[in-house]
Amino acid sequence: MTLAVLARPAMPAFEAALPATTTASPAAKLAVRRLDFFYGASHALKGIELDIPARQVTAIIGPSGCGKSTLLRVFNRIYAIHPGLRASGEVLLDGEDILSPRYPLNRLRSRVGMVFQKPVPFPMSIFDNIAWGIRHHERLGRAELADRVEEALRRAALWDEVKDTLGRSALALSGGQQQRLCIARSIALRPEVLLLDEPTSALDPIATGRIEQLIEELKSDYTLVIVTHNMQQAARVSDRTAFMYLGELVEVDATETLFTRPGKRQTEDYISGRFG
Amino acid sequence: MNSTLILSIAAEARERRDARHDAWFRRLLLAAALLVVLALLGAALATLWGGREVLFGQGLDFLASSRWDPVAGEFGALAPVYGTLVTSAVALVLAVPMAFGVALFLTEVAPPWLRGPVATAIELLASIPSIIYGMWGLTVFVPFMARIEPALSATLGRLPLVGALFQGPPLGLGLLTAGIVLAVMILPFIAAVMREVFSSVPRELKESARALGATTWEVAWHIVLPYTRPAVIGGIFLGLGRALGETMAVTFVLGNAFDITASLLMPGTSISSAIANEFNEAVGLHRSALLALGFLLFVVTFLVLLAARLLLRRLARREGTG
Repeated sequence: MTLAVLARPAMPAFEAALPATTTASPAAKLAVRRLDFFYGASHALKGIELDIPARQVTAIIGPSGCGKSTLLRVFNRIYAIHPGLRASGEVLLDGEDILSPRYPLNRLRSRVGMVFQKPVPFPMSIFDNIAWGIRHHERLGRAELADRVEEALRRAALWDEVKDTLGRSALALSGGQQQRLCIARSIALRPEVLLLDEPTSALDPIATGRIEQLIEELKSDYTLVIVTHNMQQAARVSDRTAFMYLGELVEVDATETLFTRPGKRQTEDYISGRFG
Repeated sequence: MNSTLILSIAAEARERRDARHDAWFRRLLLAAALLVVLALLGAALATLWGGREVLFGQGLDFLASSRWDPVAGEFGALAPVYGTLVTSAVALVLAVPMAFGVALFLTEVAPPWLRGPVATAIELLASIPSIIYGMWGLTVFVPFMARIEPALSATLGRLPLVGALFQGPPLGLGLLTAGIVLAVMILPFIAAVMREVFSSVPRELKESARALGATTWEVAWHIVLPYTRPAVIGGIFLGLGRALGETMAVTFVLGNAFDITASLLMPGTSISSAIANEFNEAVGLHRSALLALGFLLFVVTFLVLLAARLLLRRLARREGTG
């Protein structure tokens, strides 16, 4: 589980041993191909190639401003609500290009859920926080909706804490509970991919532990992608880790391999704390 | 030894001086706050005193009667109070949805380069003196209304219930015209408040709603509006406060008839426009009646603001966050 990231002996870099990106594998849930991203004139992502395997946790790490959050925000096209942002290339979800304007937004948003850095409950009751998203996509009866809400809260390990106060404002929950509510809200739509953008950076260590445990549990049903600036967290929760630097994907590998025998000099410098 | 003693004396003197300065500063702040309260009380009491003959001489008659006949010495405040409330209500009904749309456009939809200019244009709308609105209303808007009022009577006037609001000859002048002019005047205030609070909604809150598939409208109606509701209501009442007291623009286009009619197309009067029209030549009891009207405007405005406070408190309690 835990890797002695910092106590690792100095390693010769295997520059030539592995290509920076792996070739397409049939098990890839998400496949990123030649992805470029622009904030106006600034080139934020450069030729990203990345496969994200199904039912695993893929962590994306890298120093601030390396583009890891930007990459995550391409996967559900959430960037598109802001003017001036543009992506080119392909992101294939089960082989279909989600960047294509023909890919229906509702389909994308219900298949790819997202949890943000700050816990942001909606200004409504706990029940409605979960039900609101479901109602947008499906017409359900009262009992059916209540079942879906309960199922989502159970999956997010929050049910026992809130089952008696479902009608209360979600704003009264603690930070950790709010973040689990946000996770419940996303999985209530029964997505296939769950994107987590530094989901614990605003939480205390205990709440962080619960979220990490939850990520471990969700892995059996969902494909998870987590962006984190906390390398220990990446080492703890992920199966594969991708390292990004200055808008480029430096390398991606099994988490244990990346942290113990990184293929690139930059990766080694970053994980051993020499910069970033 | 000696030098430390001197130092401690100096430090003590300094402590005392600081405490004295602090006390004076606090008194100054208190005086500033008291001055506002005194000015308000003074104005309210002066109108109450000026209107005592009518207020206490005629008592309930003044509040319950709609007859306003200076020659006969009969003064009933019902028509001006009615006109004030109706024109303000029309203004709110028109301005609030419009301001909501403008504020949403500026915060959620407009490209960044357009936001500044449009926001500035709206602020400029707020800086136009009301006399200009009055002249524009009388020379441009009243003839325009006179032209479209027959169409209103022929369409909306045929509907059940609301039909009664759109009856009568197409004069152009009237409660509806005054309400529309007032709506234009208070729109920038409400829109400015809404824009301010809408842009304070955390980006992640809106994004996480969008990430669930929500549309711009769903985000606006279910997320942005509830999140900012107290401030939005505050902004609406700010606009209402202005509409209730607005004088010049209303005086130009309202028609100055001391009548109470169900139809919005008919002329009416309001508290402030009655005062503006008649105060110059009013003497004796007439003057007292106008001052009493002024006092009544204080009371009406106070009640409206009180209602706003109560509404906000109830909302806060229901959401369990206040």
